[in-house]
Amino acid sequence: MSSETAAITRHRAFSFSRIGAITTITLTELTRQKVFYVLLIFALLLIGSSAFLARFTFQQEFQILKDVSLGAMSIFTSLLAIIATARLIPQDIEDRTVYTILAKPVPRLEYLLGKLTGVLLLLAISVLLMSAMFAVVLYTREQAALQETARHFANAPRDQLDDALGALRASALNIDLLPGVAIIYLKACLLAALTLFIATFATTNIFTIVVMVFIYFTGHLQATAREYWLQEHSASWMARIFLAVVALIFPDLQAFNLIDDIVVGAAISLALFVKTAALGIFYTLIYTLLAIFVFYGKEL
Amino acid sequence: MITEPAVAIRGLTKVFPVPFHRQAVVAVRDLDLRVQAGEVYGLLGPNGSGKSTTLKIILGLVSPTRGKTEIFGRDSNEVASHEAVGFLPENPYFYKYLTGTETLRFFGKLCGLRGSQLGKRIDELLDLVGLTNARYRRLGTYSKGMLQRIGLAQALINEPKLVVLDEPTAGVDPAGSREIRNLIVDLKRRGITVLLSSHLLAQVQEICDHVGILANGVLVREGPLEELIAIENQTELILENASDAFVKEVEALAARSNAKLVARRRSTTTLERLFLDATKDENKQ
Repeated sequence: MSSETAAITRHRAFSFSRIGAITTITLTELTRQKVFYVLLIFALLLIGSSAFLARFTFQQEFQILKDVSLGAMSIFTSLLAIIATARLIPQDIEDRTVYTILAKPVPRLEYLLGKLTGVLLLLAISVLLMSAMFAVVLYTREQAALQETARHFANAPRDQLDDALGALRASALNIDLLPGVAIIYLKACLLAALTLFIATFATTNIFTIVVMVFIYFTGHLQATAREYWLQEHSASWMARIFLAVVALIFPDLQAFNLIDDIVVGAAISLALFVKTAALGIFYTLIYTLLAIFVFYGKEL
Repeated sequence: MITEPAVAIRGLTKVFPVPFHRQAVVAVRDLDLRVQAGEVYGLLGPNGSGKSTTLKIILGLVSPTRGKTEIFGRDSNEVASHEAVGFLPENPYFYKYLTGTETLRFFGKLCGLRGSQLGKRIDELLDLVGLTNARYRRLGTYSKGMLQRIGLAQALINEPKLVVLDEPTAGVDPAGSREIRNLIVDLKRRGITVLLSSHLLAQVQEICDHVGILANGVLVREGPLEELIAIENQTELILENASDAFVKEVEALAARSNAKLVARRRSTTTLERLFLDATKDENKQ
């Protein structure tokens, strides 16, 4: 058996299959920790809010349902990204699992990428499931509203009926929701990468979570602070550099808040979507690179 | 034929800076050490003597301040040098939501094993460490001894030429401890080099060919075990079924020469052997 096995283990400097193994195990571990219970809360929230919204007009109902659902989706995925990522490295160090992994022919880069990809997959599954639940509830309500409107306008002229049904369809389930969901996912990816970076030098999960909560709130406020600063002070080069550094440490999370436009039925322009997505990907890459840089120098 | 040493350490020093303190902690100081291929080497020393730091440097987990470590002639900082290595840390926990089989499959994949070959290797190792019946149980339900054994199995998944064990029997009961020692002896028989650190001197004495003793980061004694513990001018005779008259004759013979009889006592078993025999009988009932 020895010669056969030894022949297989020829080392490759970079291996997607090793990253895949770490990704799979990270996703399996997180899934078995019952993190998907958060989806149950989301489902209850959806069902509860749709029952409560029965007293409003259909357009109002859809608007509030979208507002509640997309808002909850954003908060839950952000929380999941922070909590799931915060424990990855400190826990592995505490349990000494990181020693056994890195004592194998596994570069630290692959270890970190595998861990992060596991979390990003978990977030993708969560967003998909929440979106599916949201779509089912919205579609069900839309169908009920369409039937009731059709009954209501049964004796009205055809044009009037078509206008009413068209207005309903436009305010319910439509393709304009997709960019919003995609941005929610990218925001969660950014938060996961930033949490991973903090976790590379943090010694406990609690420290990482506390720092991330601080960054989360600061990140939502920094755009306002920046505008105020630029209005109050002449935008000198020093001020601009300072603001760039602040923007790097505290990502502008408000820029990812496109839900308000979607809720009122306004479509997000392609340019705005691409710009926001690029910002999310850029931040995610920067924080991942910083995490790799710190982790390479870390004494385990 | 392997000619280079399994582990070669030259002029190794590790200094840990202490935050807000001027004085740093020197964990290992000017360490030179060689572990020959095929031997069992015991690294001994009290807590904080630098054993674990030395092992971590060999495995590339901690970077040395000065000096160099090599595994079979390759710089141990090169990830590729780990292909030949299996490592079991002290008190490992692993991923508690995974089963024994999933854990070994994961570590096997990290070493490039796949498919039926990996499955076969997992079966062999579970059988070797006596965990076949617990293979589908999650590690969260494993006892400390079982975790140590699954840890040993993952260390062996890639059929390493060098196995590094940090306190392999720490917290394990005597029976489990004996099993791990038997496994180490079996590794040696198969030509695998074992480098282990331990506090349990009696166990080290039983299985090691070579030992090095670290104190405050300095290697204070090093060499073949037999040479280090031998008392140059004394010889032991262990007799079985010897009559009193014959023993007296031997004593008289010793008295007539320049030799001096230092001690005469009845041979004893070890407390561990007594414990194992007693609990074995208990288990049979």
